[in-house]
Amino acid sequence: MTKLQARNIVKHFDHNGTPILALDGVNLDVEEGDFVCLVGPSGCGKSTFLNIIAGLEKPDSGEILLNGKLIDTPGPDRTMVFQEGALFPWLKVVDNVEFGLKIAGIPKEERRQISKRYLDMMQLEKFSESYTYQLSTGMKQRVAIARALAMDPEILLMDEPFAALDSQTRDLLFVELQLIWERTKKTIIFVTHNIAESVVLGSKVAIFKHRPSRIKKEIVIDYRRPRLAEDENLLKYQHAIIQELKNEVIEQKKSGD
Amino acid sequence: MGGKIIARRVVFYVGIIAAWQIVFSLHLAPQTVIPSPSDVGQALAKGVYDGSLLYGIGTSLLRLSAGLVIAIAAGIALGIFIARFETMNQIIGPFLLGLQSIPSVAWVPLAFLWFGRTDGGIIFVTVIGALFAVAINTHSAIRAVPPTLVAAGRNMGANGIQLIKDVIIPASFPQMIAGFKQGWSYAWRGVISAEVIFSVLGLGSLLNSGTKNNQIAEVISVLIIIMIIGVLVDGLVFKRLERTVLSRWGPVK
Ligand SMILES: Nc1ncnc2c1ncn2[C@@H]1O[C@H](COP(=O)(O)OP(=O)(O)OP(=O)(O)O)[C@@H](O)[C@H]1O
Ligand SMILES: [Mg+2]
Repeated sequence: MTKLQARNIVKHFDHNGTPILALDGVNLDVEEGDFVCLVGPSGCGKSTFLNIIAGLEKPDSGEILLNGKLIDTPGPDRTMVFQEGALFPWLKVVDNVEFGLKIAGIPKEERRQISKRYLDMMQLEKFSESYTYQLSTGMKQRVAIARALAMDPEILLMDEPFAALDSQTRDLLFVELQLIWERTKKTIIFVTHNIAESVVLGSKVAIFKHRPSRIKKEIVIDYRRPRLAEDENLLKYQHAIIQELKNEVIEQKKSGD
Repeated sequence: MGGKIIARRVVFYVGIIAAWQIVFSLHLAPQTVIPSPSDVGQALAKGVYDGSLLYGIGTSLLRLSAGLVIAIAAGIALGIFIARFETMNQIIGPFLLGLQSIPSVAWVPLAFLWFGRTDGGIIFVTVIGALFAVAINTHSAIRAVPPTLVAAGRNMGANGIQLIKDVIIPASFPQMIAGFKQGWSYAWRGVISAEVIFSVLGLGSLLNSGTKNNQIAEVISVLIIIMIIGVLVDGLVFKRLERTVLSRWGPVK
């Protein structure tokens, strides 16, 4: 079943009077249970696209359908893990995880059960009473993931959640995230710069291109899980993606960019 | 706070009093102008004993609290309003800055005309002295909230009042404290100035009556009380507030 459809999304930003076309007709279909990684050059509009799916930005034209229904506002059915975590420093870890549940009016006891489940899953049970400044960057990122999962969203949106991490922590979270994905059967859209990351995590990698900003190609990664970052069998997928992105650069040069 | 710092402070105050005593004993200034420390001590003791000083403190603090609570509540509301509607800020921002630059005492004549010599008049001066500082600081505190925190709140379903109450206010609170502090100091100045001029109860009016009766020791004793209250409010209210915030947000923000 198609979980999410993006149809012809166009979005421009105004830079001191000059319009910048951030998205120029983006189309994407995401199936239920897909783990889609979005890769593409910096500034090609990946974050903008994710924000539009989240309802945090409005497209100039085009539409987003969730389960076939049009959406244009933020909603707890599409929770986001922001690049910097975006945790609330005035709340304890457990209250961060429960924030959305509280907004939704879920009673305290039920909230505690839910937050406990996800804090346990993220191996953070010992830190539930800590404040966020007392955590390492990797721990913060795990809290952000727990917070997003606690809402039991239809789709989990992740914007370069691991960019600020060292490679060991990142490799650990690769495995954890794959396990969570398998356990929860969530649909995930994951933005990254890192091609190796995209082939480790994604069931599908969507390649974004620049000028015009569109999704150019989708590559299915049909390889067993959990995948490890160092697995050499993933290299061929990486090469295919790199080749696509190279063509993109060459095309741009030809068109005099 | 370390015992060492406290000891040094005690030495400092003892030093001041000693110097003062020396100025007095050596007749470095006419004794009618500068009373001795013990005269002031006696004036303090008398004020405490006959209740006039304590009553004055109570009255002034009551007016201060009433005014400050109103000023902070209204200031936060106004600050949020202009932060939320940028056009509003463009229109009335400079006006608020202008109002903020008016010293509290300059409002006293208007308060007199509008409210007469009443508590209401004094509280008006207090509120109007503090309100704009709180509003302006609240506005800039809100402007400094990282957009991703607001996005995160919206993403988890918060909007409207909930977004303001559960995300925007707590996110800007550490910076808002600066506004409260400024507001409090303007309010305290406002209360005392209004009391001096209106001369209806309170510490300000004690200053006034002391002056009329040429009781310099009494005047100085009241000044000391005003200063001590300032130090206590800063230590008991604001330092504590800042410490609470620090214990959550961590040392670096
Ligand atoms: N809030 C904004 N205001 C103005 N322009 C913006 C805004 N957000 C994005 N843009 C512009 O839109 C384009 C796409 O930005 P976006 O952040 O979506 O790129 P990205 O693919 O996520 O890049 P990166 O990989 O570097 O994070 C850029 O040209 C950027 O300048
Ligand atoms: Mg981005």
